[in-house]
Amino acid sequence: MSKNSPPKRSRFWEETSFLRVYLWKYRKWVGIGLGALVLVDFLDVIPPLLLKKVVDVVTSETLAQGASKKLFQLAMTYFGIAVVQGVCRYLWRMYFVRASLFAGRDLRGKYARHLFDLSVSFFDRHRMGDLMSLATNDVEGVRLAMGSGVLVFADAVFYLLTIPVAMWFLSPQLTLLACLPLPLIPWIVLRNEKKVHERVEKIQECFGRISAMTQENLNGIRVVKGFAQEEVQYRRLKELGEEYMRLSLSAARVQSTTGPLMDFVMSLGMVGLLFWGGGQLIDHGEKLITFGTFVAFQRYIQKMIWPMAALGMAANYFQRSLSSTKRLKRVFATQSDIIELPSPALPPFQRGKTQGAIEFKNLHFSFPGHPKIILKGIDLKIQPGERVALVGSMASGKSTILSLLPRLYPVHSGMIFIDGIDINHWPIEELRNQVGYVSQEVYLFSESVFENVAFGLHHWIEKGYSVDDHSHLIEESTRLASIHEEIQGLELAYKTRLGERGTSLSGGQKQRLTLARALAKEPSILVLDDALAAVDLQTEEKILQSLRSRPNRNTEIVAAHRISTVKDSDRIVVLNEGEIIQMGTHPQLASQRGGIYWKFYEKQKMREELESYQNELTPSY
Amino acid sequence: MSSPHLTSLESFLELEEKGQKRFQTLSLAQSILRLSRLILKHRWPFFGGAFLIVLGTLAAVLEPRIFGYAIDEAILPGRWDRLKGTGLVLFLAIGLRIFSAIQQTYLFEILGQRVTQDLRLQLFSHLERLSLTTHSKHPPGRLLTRVTNDIAALGEMFSSGFVSMFCNLFLVLGVLVGLLLLDFRLGLISLSVFPVLVGLSIFFSKRLIRAYQDSRSKLSALNAFLAENLSGMKIVNLFNRQTLHFERFDRLNHWYADAQTASVKVYALFQPTITLSAGVSVALVMFFGGERTLQGSLKLGVLVTFFSYLMALFQPVREIADKWNLFLSGMTAAERVFSILDWPTEMESHEVETCARPIPSLMGKIQFENVWFAYQGENWILRDFSIEIHPGERVGLVGYTGSGKSTLIHLLMRFYDPQKGRILLDGRDLRSYDLRSLRASIGMVQQEVFLFSGTFEENMTFWKPSVDQRVHNILSQLQFEHHLGKTLLEKGVNFSMGERQMIAFARALAIDPKIWILDEATAHLDSETEQTLQNAVNLASHGKTSLLIAHRLATVRSADRILVLHQGRLIESGSHVQLLELDGLYSRLHRLQDL
Repeated sequence: MSKNSPPKRSRFWEETSFLRVYLWKYRKWVGIGLGALVLVDFLDVIPPLLLKKVVDVVTSETLAQGASKKLFQLAMTYFGIAVVQGVCRYLWRMYFVRASLFAGRDLRGKYARHLFDLSVSFFDRHRMGDLMSLATNDVEGVRLAMGSGVLVFADAVFYLLTIPVAMWFLSPQLTLLACLPLPLIPWIVLRNEKKVHERVEKIQECFGRISAMTQENLNGIRVVKGFAQEEVQYRRLKELGEEYMRLSLSAARVQSTTGPLMDFVMSLGMVGLLFWGGGQLIDHGEKLITFGTFVAFQRYIQKMIWPMAALGMAANYFQRSLSSTKRLKRVFATQSDIIELPSPALPPFQRGKTQGAIEFKNLHFSFPGHPKIILKGIDLKIQPGERVALVGSMASGKSTILSLLPRLYPVHSGMIFIDGIDINHWPIEELRNQVGYVSQEVYLFSESVFENVAFGLHHWIEKGYSVDDHSHLIEESTRLASIHEEIQGLELAYKTRLGERGTSLSGGQKQRLTLARALAKEPSILVLDDALAAVDLQTEEKILQSLRSRPNRNTEIVAAHRISTVKDSDRIVVLNEGEIIQMGTHPQLASQRGGIYWKFYEKQKMREELESYQNELTPSY
Repeated sequence: MSSPHLTSLESFLELEEKGQKRFQTLSLAQSILRLSRLILKHRWPFFGGAFLIVLGTLAAVLEPRIFGYAIDEAILPGRWDRLKGTGLVLFLAIGLRIFSAIQQTYLFEILGQRVTQDLRLQLFSHLERLSLTTHSKHPPGRLLTRVTNDIAALGEMFSSGFVSMFCNLFLVLGVLVGLLLLDFRLGLISLSVFPVLVGLSIFFSKRLIRAYQDSRSKLSALNAFLAENLSGMKIVNLFNRQTLHFERFDRLNHWYADAQTASVKVYALFQPTITLSAGVSVALVMFFGGERTLQGSLKLGVLVTFFSYLMALFQPVREIADKWNLFLSGMTAAERVFSILDWPTEMESHEVETCARPIPSLMGKIQFENVWFAYQGENWILRDFSIEIHPGERVGLVGYTGSGKSTLIHLLMRFYDPQKGRILLDGRDLRSYDLRSLRASIGMVQQEVFLFSGTFEENMTFWKPSVDQRVHNILSQLQFEHHLGKTLLEKGVNFSMGERQMIAFARALAIDPKIWILDEATAHLDSETEQTLQNAVNLASHGKTSLLIAHRLATVRSADRILVLHQGRLIESGSHVQLLELDGLYSRLHRLQDL
């Protein structure tokens, strides 16, 4: 036990670190709040004493002795205390609770900041639901421990420090009597909490099963309907629901007793007071205790119930925050695997002056945490302004190569060079400005069309250029991507809002918009990873044409499935299982009968023939 | 920065608020009415709990009075016997109060659990009966939130909102009555501030609710923003917008914290008004009551009881105002659930519902007669489509994506109904059959394989208690017995694509269907799995009316008849050999795949 305790304590220290950090950060507000709280608790001792006075006055004095004036004074004091307490209650809420809200805000911000600093592979590894739950539940868990937990705990402690003292001062015997049942309370709380805690875990697990099952049914609704399984699924949910109900009720059975039992224990003190205190008054008159003391004790006993309950509550809050802190810390401990190395050898960068020469030197790659080797020694040199096409089957590794250029995943040094400089030595931001990468998956943000296309231009906007200065650039990009006219056709044109709650575009439109987004930042290297697959042939032809007929064109690497996309490239590179197996121009490769590219080409030709045959079949409706 | 092109975060918030209201189509009164009908289904815990609340309140109101009585009738006159009596009564009253407090909480928990279970099941079975058209309009995530979060909010309302509201309401009423009965004049004096307090409570609770709503919608905007960014993190990185987006997030984050602070402020102002009101009325009783006790017109015990009552009166008012919010958010959740329950199910949305008959024994003859169908508007997928498939015939369907072959299957399964024309099964309109027994007699393997998490057996038999001999035979034919006892993770991810397809296949085979449909998956399988699958298809379709939608033409080569679809029309039909001779679309497709 003694051996284990030091690391245990340091772990506890570790798991409460957020609490300390934010309590300290907002120490002024926390200080004011706690001060006000102390004052409230301290003043709370007085009202029963005033009641005592009132009762003593009415039992032992007469109107003639000016008792009326005393009563008036006591009443005014009572009111005065209520005013001060009212103000203090306002203060501790405004300062203490606000401090906790701001701490929650800060922690949430810190968490988000950290997420924005992590690399893509982190998000490949983690489920979005889990990351969201950290931002909502766990941040709130820590906040509650600081706001409600610390507050309730402090409140309970001050109560326990002041009220028994006042009671002792009035009558030590009665205090002992009233506090006799107190030790029962922690026992009740701890015993019940332990039972409830066990059950709550089971309840949460069961609730998780219910949501998982429901989600599965909603996702697989076609299977459920197709096999007419509605009844069976209903019965499954019913069973789960019944288990949930059974568990919840068994927890409620225990939980419903905690509060009332504590109340009962304190109320026993009340019965004791009535017998012993009343008996004293009957037997000895007001020698030992006065009527006033008797009445004051009635109030004090009632006040003692709260701090007892509060300690249990505080323990709950702290417990919850410990596991939340642990989860948050685990994310904070993760670092991005894309590290910016110092770049001493770099010439001063000037936008648009990058050449766009690329070199792959014996490039080997596997995804972080996965043993499978995707790229097995790629050697390739691409000249500035060259148009290179990558061709190969799904698992050939062509997408992977492309995703490495903007450093989405970590690559060893000495493998990829842009303008002769290892990409690991490029400033990441500059590198990503230079590489216009368009992936297969389209992702647009729920902002206006304009903002989505101008996604890479925020630097200029931040530097004070107005958006209108760039309208021509935006329009040029959307024209290049053959989407300008369609945007104009939308009701709000460039101001149209996209996304789940905005306008939805077709797959092809989205792809062209993502292309325009990449073009707008005028990259010196354009990377298209099967980026036009959902665009019809004629439009694709048109886009490629206009891309290539631009005056100062960029280096272009395209991965594609269509022959039409690749055949006009300066060079075609054929990949298979992470290796380059053919390289050359279209006429060269197409003439190598039996080769992979030849097959690919033949297939395409036939497909095109088929398509034209189909078009003949299609009657005009 | 203030260009009209920019979507401000404010408008992001606004849209979020609108989105929240989409599900709310009922009035508060309507939902309360519907909820009370559900509650009344569980009379026993409801009335039991309500009775105990009344009982407990009575005891709680009596306790201070007993104390006061003891002062006046036992202690002042010096009567030990009466002191013992009142002490005993006090103990009993406390016991009664504690007992009913425990039991009422439990009874209301039972009520809440039962009502939420009822609603959860109703909602779930309703969701399962909604047409696919409705499902495609509402993403599963949204609907899931209804089943989980909204139902949970309702449960919360029952377990903590209801009990607390009722208890406090009764307590306030009980104490008010008690005060006035004890001494009407002093009662009125002490309560002089009470109407002001009630007025203030209403005033503050309205503001509180508004403030809570405000911070809730800010929170959901914040979460929506973060979720969008987490999904699009790759793009954020590629365009170097991490800092910019973090700043936006932080702005929303600040707004949320400020909205929360605003609600704390309302609350912080509200609480002292209660302290002050209580202070005023106790002070009033101290002075006026004290004076009357001095005059001898008010007993000491009554004065003491007054103090106790006043202390007990004000806290419940605050708690009612406090829980009112819980009640309202519970009712909002109920509204949303009820409005989904009002969506028409697929049965209701069909026009023809003539004596839905179960299917006794099916021959398996299928006819499409001049069927027109569009998922949307005039965008016809099938145009005047007619075919006849004979019982026991094996038919292959071939065509490009969008040619309408999957749609044929959807119509046959009655996932959708055609806009024009009709579909006959064994010479009778499809719509005259009982929907579910129709589906149950068709074995279908869908293109997109969907398996449930659970055991292999559960997936094979759809949760039948045991695996019967027939299923064992199927499993042994497919050499699948080694999977028995295995557990599938979500969507079956711990099995290979090929295995998943085979399981989906075996599952359909296991229901011994009259009609057999295979919508082949497009994903690539290794050649061995493909061979096994091919054998299984032959096995399954033997002697049954079979529709095989193939992406690999090899699958349909041996079919009795191959139908080639193009843009919603039948353009070629015949056996493999016949179609090759025809030198049309099929033969071209065939040459392409052979390459």
